[in-house]
Amino acid sequence: MGGREANVVLLDENGIRSDGRKVNETRKVTIKAGVLKNANGSAYIEFGGNKILAGVFGPRDVHPKHMSNPDTGILRVRYHMEPFSVGERKKPAPSRREIEISKVIKEALEPAVMLEKFPRTAVDVFLEVLQADGGTRCAALDAASVALADAGIPMRDLVCACASGKAADTLILDVNNEEDQAGQADMPIGYMPNLGKITLLQLDGVLTADEYKKCIELGLEGCKQVYEIQKNALREKYFSSGDKD
Amino acid sequence: MANLSIIDKLKRSKILDLLQEGKRIDDRALDEPRPLVIDTGVIPHANGSARVRLGDTEIVSGIKVQPDRPFPDMGDKGIFMCTAEILPLAHPSAETGPPQPDVIELARVVDRGIRESGMIDLSQFVLEKDKSVIGLFADSVVTDHDGNLFDACSYAAVAAIITSKIPKWEMKDDIPVLIENQESDAPITTIPISVTMGRIGEFIIVDPNIDEWECLDARITITTNSDGNIVALQKGGSDGFTLEQLVKCSELSITIGKKIREIVKQATEGGK
Amino acid sequence: MKKFESKKRHVLPGDFITTAPLRLQGNVVLEGKRVIATSIGLSDVSADSVRVIPLTGVYLPKIDDLVIGTIQYIFGNSWFADINSCYQGMLLGQDVFGRGSYPTTSEMKERLDNGDIIYAKIANSDRQREPLISIADQSLGKIDSGELVKISPTKIPRLIGKHGSMIQSIEASTNATITVGQNGVIVVSCDETNGLLKALAAIRMVDEQAHLVNLTDKVKKMLESDGV
Repeated sequence: MGGREANVVLLDENGIRSDGRKVNETRKVTIKAGVLKNANGSAYIEFGGNKILAGVFGPRDVHPKHMSNPDTGILRVRYHMEPFSVGERKKPAPSRREIEISKVIKEALEPAVMLEKFPRTAVDVFLEVLQADGGTRCAALDAASVALADAGIPMRDLVCACASGKAADTLILDVNNEEDQAGQADMPIGYMPNLGKITLLQLDGVLTADEYKKCIELGLEGCKQVYEIQKNALREKYFSSGDKD
Repeated sequence: MANLSIIDKLKRSKILDLLQEGKRIDDRALDEPRPLVIDTGVIPHANGSARVRLGDTEIVSGIKVQPDRPFPDMGDKGIFMCTAEILPLAHPSAETGPPQPDVIELARVVDRGIRESGMIDLSQFVLEKDKSVIGLFADSVVTDHDGNLFDACSYAAVAAIITSKIPKWEMKDDIPVLIENQESDAPITTIPISVTMGRIGEFIIVDPNIDEWECLDARITITTNSDGNIVALQKGGSDGFTLEQLVKCSELSITIGKKIREIVKQATEGGK
Repeated sequence: MKKFESKKRHVLPGDFITTAPLRLQGNVVLEGKRVIATSIGLSDVSADSVRVIPLTGVYLPKIDDLVIGTIQYIFGNSWFADINSCYQGMLLGQDVFGRGSYPTTSEMKERLDNGDIIYAKIANSDRQREPLISIADQSLGKIDSGELVKISPTKIPRLIGKHGSMIQSIEASTNATITVGQNGVIVVSCDETNGLLKALAAIRMVDEQAHLVNLTDKVKKMLESDGV
């Protein structure tokens, strides 16, 4: 990928990014709730060029039994990329990166879901990346929250997510694939707006202490925008009259 | 998928009762497949793609084309590989982990149906004989399972292959180098269409949905090409077929295959 | 001055409902002084309590609920049934053979075997063990014939209708007998194939469109027409 960096202008003299966005602008996000027949809850998200499908089963029986918890239900998350989702075909078996992202997303959702009322059960969240374009873990987390609510899993709040970062010495919101490869920092953030809690946070790159704080604040702006889109997706499925006469 | 050990007794006897009257639980005729919807180009970053809905079964198929080394004894042919996976979100009993025998069978049957038909002219995929060829990978994932994954995955892979764009590579110093903006259509010689039928008691039903699938005594998948010839077939299930039933199945696969081929052609015309 | 909202409102998880110091019932949680919804549904604030009526979610067994289950296996002196929940229903041998009895496995299999469908009542439900079910009542027991259908348990009240009006109108116009479990499981039995298919279509319609207006009219229209 090294040869491409020189050709990409991440930020031009007017402050416009390589894909035409301003520094504090997210890519286009659309979410649809309840797209699968079999899953208890589901959601499909398009976040820029990311296309991700989320399916939830549960609360349901846990197998093997020794994995179940007598005091509370457990949350299991599997983040997985399809072979055709990335530039060079990816082999179907789970990679170490996918396993780590699965864990990080699970820990972002655990503060939100309330499983004490379902001891000895599991809630399974399956996230399938059909097309990847930078920021898949945030988009996947956004879809997971909507799918969990669609399944009726009790939650204190929806978890929304968006990445901020730094490219061409400037803090930017919603890092795309090119900016991730050639930029200076990438910071995915997961957030529960109702409780003011950040539940996913990682950093790739170098930031000063001041940049770090501003970068989080910028990221939270993006998160809140996605939060509204998540809520509208659920409202559209459950609260709209739907009748077209 | 885990094998269901408890067969719902009520359901199987109800299905048989309906079949005696020439009916099925979703109101179809015995030789009627479910409505088929095909969308192509759904994964723009891949070389080709399609999403198929066969009734409530949903499959997404993506094509990746990239340079590869040829198989040792086939240096004058490109590589073609077909995989299939049932995603855990497709059904409550779908498992994660290494593929189970039924998923492996699914992938191999879909692969053979397309490969044996000679659908892709692999001789056009050679960059340097015995050294470097083009590989085309058709990966299908099941996102919603409502029975008959064999046909749904096959239609998705076929539609994705027909509408895929093959980039151009040139050999420079023994290494394939991509030439930008010189894509061509995939070299297609025929359109293979699979038709899956099941037997419950003495009745043959086409395109079983998941309720029927769980009650089948036996099933067969037959793939035909554009000339109406049979190119591949696979029998499955714990029971068998009589010769008469097998002949009937082959006839159904040709007539129904023809109709479905038209649907696939229409859906893939715009993509070219 | 705090005003009590008697109007039901649409809520999503995380939505604020009230700060009034009310008794918390289902699907709400207290964050500091704020009562927050934890499910998608309708908030219901009364004079002394607050809850959310959920519009989605699996069935959670509640005492005295009437449910339809499928026997999965026999273990010890009990049958274990799938009641469309994250927990299995446990039916004691004593419930069927009488107090103090110790039926053998073959005696139990003869009465109720794997795969049999039963109409039962939730007798006890504490989260520490599987919920106990009972078929001791006259109207309960094995269901011999019919087609098993599952819909979202949250749609069952809509399927039953006010004072049973919806379910009765479906039965009347299709000549089907419909047994409804509060766990979202339904058994439809009908001598004529057309009646059976129509009844199934009506139930499917309620499951898909329960949240829309004019459902009663739409179902009525479909039942009166010839096709499904």
